[in-house]
Amino acid sequence: MDHNATSATNTGSAVTGGHIHPPPDTFIKKYVFSLDHKVIAVQYFITGGLFFILAGLLAELMRAQLSGPNNHVLSVATYNQAYSVHGSAMVWLVIIPLLTGGFGNLVMPLQIGARDVAFPWLNMISFWLFPPAGILLFASFLYGAPEAGWTEYPPITLQMPFGTSMWCLAIFLIGISATITGLNFLVTIVKMRAPGMTYTRMPLFVWATATTAFLSMIATANLSAALAGLFIARTFHVPFYDVAKGGAPVLWQHVFWFYSHPAVYIMILPAFGLVSEIIPTFVRRPIFGYKMIAYSSAAIGLLSFMVWAHHMFTSGLEHWEQFLFMILTMTIAVPTGIKVFSWVATLWGGKIRLDSPLLFVLGFLSTFTFGGFTGILLASVPVDIHEHASYFVVAHLHYVLFGGSVFGIFAGMYYWWPKMTGRLLDERLAKWHFWLMFISFNATFLPMHWIGLLGMPRRVATYDPVYASTNLFVSISAFVLGASMLLFLYNALRSARKGEVAGPNPWGARTLEWMIPSPAPYYNFKDIPIVLSGPYDYGKPLPYANISQELATVPMH
Amino acid sequence: MATHVYVPSDAEYEEVRGQRLLGFLFFLISDCVIFGDFIFSYLYLRNASPVWPPPGIERPYLYLAAVNSIVLFGSGATMHYAMEGMRHARLRQFVWFTVATIVLGSMFLGGQAYEYTHLHDTWSGSTFGASFFTLTGLHGFHVFIGVIFLITVLIQTLRGTYTQQRHFGLTAATLYWHFVDVIWVALFFLFYIY
Repeated sequence: MDHNATSATNTGSAVTGGHIHPPPDTFIKKYVFSLDHKVIAVQYFITGGLFFILAGLLAELMRAQLSGPNNHVLSVATYNQAYSVHGSAMVWLVIIPLLTGGFGNLVMPLQIGARDVAFPWLNMISFWLFPPAGILLFASFLYGAPEAGWTEYPPITLQMPFGTSMWCLAIFLIGISATITGLNFLVTIVKMRAPGMTYTRMPLFVWATATTAFLSMIATANLSAALAGLFIARTFHVPFYDVAKGGAPVLWQHVFWFYSHPAVYIMILPAFGLVSEIIPTFVRRPIFGYKMIAYSSAAIGLLSFMVWAHHMFTSGLEHWEQFLFMILTMTIAVPTGIKVFSWVATLWGGKIRLDSPLLFVLGFLSTFTFGGFTGILLASVPVDIHEHASYFVVAHLHYVLFGGSVFGIFAGMYYWWPKMTGRLLDERLAKWHFWLMFISFNATFLPMHWIGLLGMPRRVATYDPVYASTNLFVSISAFVLGASMLLFLYNALRSARKGEVAGPNPWGARTLEWMIPSPAPYYNFKDIPIVLSGPYDYGKPLPYANISQELATVPMH
Repeated sequence: MATHVYVPSDAEYEEVRGQRLLGFLFFLISDCVIFGDFIFSYLYLRNASPVWPPPGIERPYLYLAAVNSIVLFGSGATMHYAMEGMRHARLRQFVWFTVATIVLGSMFLGGQAYEYTHLHDTWSGSTFGASFFTLTGLHGFHVFIGVIFLITVLIQTLRGTYTQQRHFGLTAATLYWHFVDVIWVALFFLFYIY
């Protein structure tokens, strides 16, 4: 070992790499109550994937109802339940668990050269709070599911049947789970980086995960408190929101959005992170503006706590409050813009290899940026007062959460699938999936902008017949969008049976997770690697010492 | 199955201790947020009401709470001396001061129970009662958990789990106990003085 490596030892945190326990020997310990971050990640993917299918079916039911102006596919009450549970499930049971629980668990410890997260036992508990929460949420249909949307504003929430209490408990469990995961990940990133991995040598996905973990720890704890408050208000008639006894329904909007606006960034920052990993890999050049991308994640994280009331422009805020939150909200466009420009600058003049992960990233870039533009529109008070609770909001939200987060999830899935399973996905099917999904996504949500601007309100089971033809088109597109997911499902099952063996580094990437076999062995790293510089210097020798040399050679495609 | 207990080296212990300490501090921060949420709700409702407390509601009795506060802060002091004992390997000092802390904590809970049963306002009666019983109840629950925590680490100490050098469980219990003390300062100010 040369003197560089020895001096680098002082800058990272983990020295010993921890004590190695023997691997588990029973099925239960290995696959059910596993402590291994890679197995827990797969558990998140499978559970979250199942909830994704259920929440997607609810969306298709809603689109069936809306395919004509006065359909009777669903009753009015069932329609209300469908959009409430669809929204809650997509946010709390699909996007957050898949991005943080799934990719965070799968990739982050590998990328920092650790053998596991700091508290594997907490990680297991955190996962096992998740399936009961999902079951509670979907079982609420048996007891009168919530009908007030995913935001559940009182006073109507106080008058709903028991299903709304189940919703409270479900989201409370998810809140605890996410808080624990955030705490665990943050300790892992601060304390367990391989020797030599300073903060500015961390992969950008780790930066994004650290910011997300911070937001989860702070904001999600607040969510749990808010949900407990709503639950006791419903169950024990504690008058927080009861106007007759001096309570204030708007109070709920404050405590809810104080969580739920940071939650928007919990749902998008990990996607930003994996985009920053995928782009340099597929254009074979260093990421443009590493530090700006890293620090803009932190800036977004801090700003996200100061913008919650932009969801409440029509809830009777003072004018100065409206103005303040408008300006602060628009400020977030600056760090987000820095990221988008840096990604485009990385692509500029690069040797672009259009494999499926990059295709999904390009889809992400175009749709998310478009959703960002409508976000700036909605942030301005006069526009928001006009567009509030119209289909324009539905369109904006799906452009950032579907066009952003879900495209990001698929990009990450196609990118890290070989590391997770050791096998490749079929590239031709992946490209079909992308184009079908990209086109039908835009066909579904783009027309919603115009019908929203024309005045069609959201969360209503019927509508004026003048919107009929557009809605029929949207519904047909939504069915195609749903069907496009089957291509991924087929591809995944096919890969598990007869996928080509991937090898350690099929994409020729340079971060640490690709320096070990696929799938990663039980202890990830035989020896804890030593990091000598940042991970994106394509064209230079690999910046690691202490890893086995036959794996470290990067294949050229 | 043969039990073999793995004894980590000093370097390994220090590394794991650092992780646990940071994790525990993060837990206390997120716990602070939970109290913060309800404190915000209290201040919001107070601000929304033209008079405070709401008409017909009496504030809880200051002097009982003041005595109770002294009991709780006293338990913070005994906790401190207990840990001093552990740091200097004086086991008897640790044990008796921890017992004193447990007794004082239980006395605080008793005082709170007495206060709860002698108030006219109820949890569902007014916005003051809503905030008061939610926040002090949440705090009382934390004190209860703290007492259980202290009893547990006391038993573990007597069974020889902790040493002068390696006692993270005790550090965590102490931090938690002081945290609960500090939260009480805020609640006492909000409900009895402000």
